[in-house]
Amino acid sequence: MRKRKSIVEFILFIILLTGAMFMMIPMVYLISYSLRPNSDIYQYPPTLFPGYYKLTFENYEYILSKSVNIFIYFKNSLIVGLVSMVLVALMSSALAFVLSRYKFKGKEIFFLIIIATMIIPGLELIIPQYQIAVRLKIINRLSGLIPVYAAWMLPFSTFMIRGFVDNIPREMDEAAYVDGASPLKVYFGIILPLMKPAIAAVSIFNFLTCWEEYGWAQTVISSEKLRTIPIYIAGFFGRNNFTQYGYVFAISFLSLVPIITIFITFQKYFITGLMTGSVKG
Amino acid sequence: MLKKIAKKRKIKKEYWQVTLLFLPGVIFFSLFTLYPIVKLFIMSFYEYKIGALKESTFVGLHNYIQVISDEISQAAVVNTLIYALITVPGQIVLGLLIAVFINKLSKAKVFFRVLYYFPVITSWVIVSVLFRYIFQNEGYLNYLIFSMLEVEPVHWLETRMSSLAVLSIIGIWKGIGWSMTVFIAALTAVPLELYEVAEVDGSNSIKNFFYITLPSIRNTILFTFVMLTIGAFNTFTPVKLMTDGKPLHQTEFVLTWMYKNAFEFRNMGYSAALSFTVGLLISIIAIIQFNYFKKA
Repeated sequence: MRKRKSIVEFILFIILLTGAMFMMIPMVYLISYSLRPNSDIYQYPPTLFPGYYKLTFENYEYILSKSVNIFIYFKNSLIVGLVSMVLVALMSSALAFVLSRYKFKGKEIFFLIIIATMIIPGLELIIPQYQIAVRLKIINRLSGLIPVYAAWMLPFSTFMIRGFVDNIPREMDEAAYVDGASPLKVYFGIILPLMKPAIAAVSIFNFLTCWEEYGWAQTVISSEKLRTIPIYIAGFFGRNNFTQYGYVFAISFLSLVPIITIFITFQKYFITGLMTGSVKG
Repeated sequence: MLKKIAKKRKIKKEYWQVTLLFLPGVIFFSLFTLYPIVKLFIMSFYEYKIGALKESTFVGLHNYIQVISDEISQAAVVNTLIYALITVPGQIVLGLLIAVFINKLSKAKVFFRVLYYFPVITSWVIVSVLFRYIFQNEGYLNYLIFSMLEVEPVHWLETRMSSLAVLSIIGIWKGIGWSMTVFIAALTAVPLELYEVAEVDGSNSIKNFFYITLPSIRNTILFTFVMLTIGAFNTFTPVKLMTDGKPLHQTEFVLTWMYKNAFEFRNMGYSAALSFTVGLLISIIAIIQFNYFKKA
């Protein structure tokens, strides 16, 4: 019995490994091409791996040189991602707490509307959102990106965190009320600390969403200096129909490094975050 | 009893604190989501001039009629639907299969989870750039096909159906990791006793899967179904960067066509009507999915 089990496991392992190889080929391709000279990139026949004598860091050298100033784009993306993430975390956790713990007229309808807006593809609302941004004079500014990103992420975050708060026993806060604590005290002193795993999980997703967002950023940002990484990378396209793929791949790989780091560090939250809230088996 | 009354009084007295917590989110949500929805709805009935609603002319359902009768918007909706029909089941079946396999392993679980999740955290812009390079006419894939089968190179991104195929493959490739993660989370919540009882009754793995695993995670499958369908209608970046609707708007998706009308042709009313028509379509699909799973 045990022997049969280990054979089955071995077969599954091989299947999974083969699948994983297919999943990784494009990434291998990306890294491989980022390490070749640009002249190599249009050679025919193409090869998956570069000859070892051709390996070069010249793409990275160019990208990291002062003339490109890639750090500005990293900084822009980082600022926008962090501010949007924190803004959503603050608002959605407070909303989730109130929705979960207090009764008032129209509450369920309000929650239903929040959930319903999750259906709408984010970009569908950008015409009126663009007009609001014009009126607020935040076009072509980093602060023009943040409210719209936050608006996209707020419903789902509230929905997920509320599911989590609903599972926190009510006795916790009721005992505090009996002791004379105020709602603010209960929120900041008891519930918020307990919410941390849910907020963390949601926030990681939100940060990733901002980090990779393209459509809205492309619409709002026109100055070279205010570009985020996605629109900088996409900007390599279409110039004289000749894309310098070596550079593109090098930047792409560099922009993946922080994401990979975040992912591996918080790997646990990706699962626990999904387990809470909406997914209850 | 006394305690309860005291508690109620206390909360009532400090109701402003609850309001304080609630209000920022409500105001923000109203300003940046609810108001735009209403505004968009109004715009969809106007021949909209940028600036003020006053100068625009009310045209009734004209924009909607245009959207429904326009060949390009029809193609955009059909393309998006085909994409959803391929990628949603594709991601669910493959994601579930991988999740079940990984769950059966005693070692290397985290290793595979990380590997399969990798495409999910890779941004759409990078994925589009990369696959556009792989699928170009002189690209690696055509070279492989040519050297193995000796057939003419396929012009992947130059015809409607092959472009849709490429986009769907990428969609599945990028999404498997997400559905897999959701399913792993759900699988760990299935009580082990169910399997133990089944084993005593002489059940096998395949029977277990259909009679225990699938029914236990039904809600999760529904959740994934709805989320992925919404996600399919959200597709913008890969289409924009890989085909941009070419040739002749044949590979346009809902969002790319909406975007073009809004920001390139300045056809705001039409764009708004398209948004609402599609919004309605997604709602109907979501409701059907919910009902179907409730009955089953």
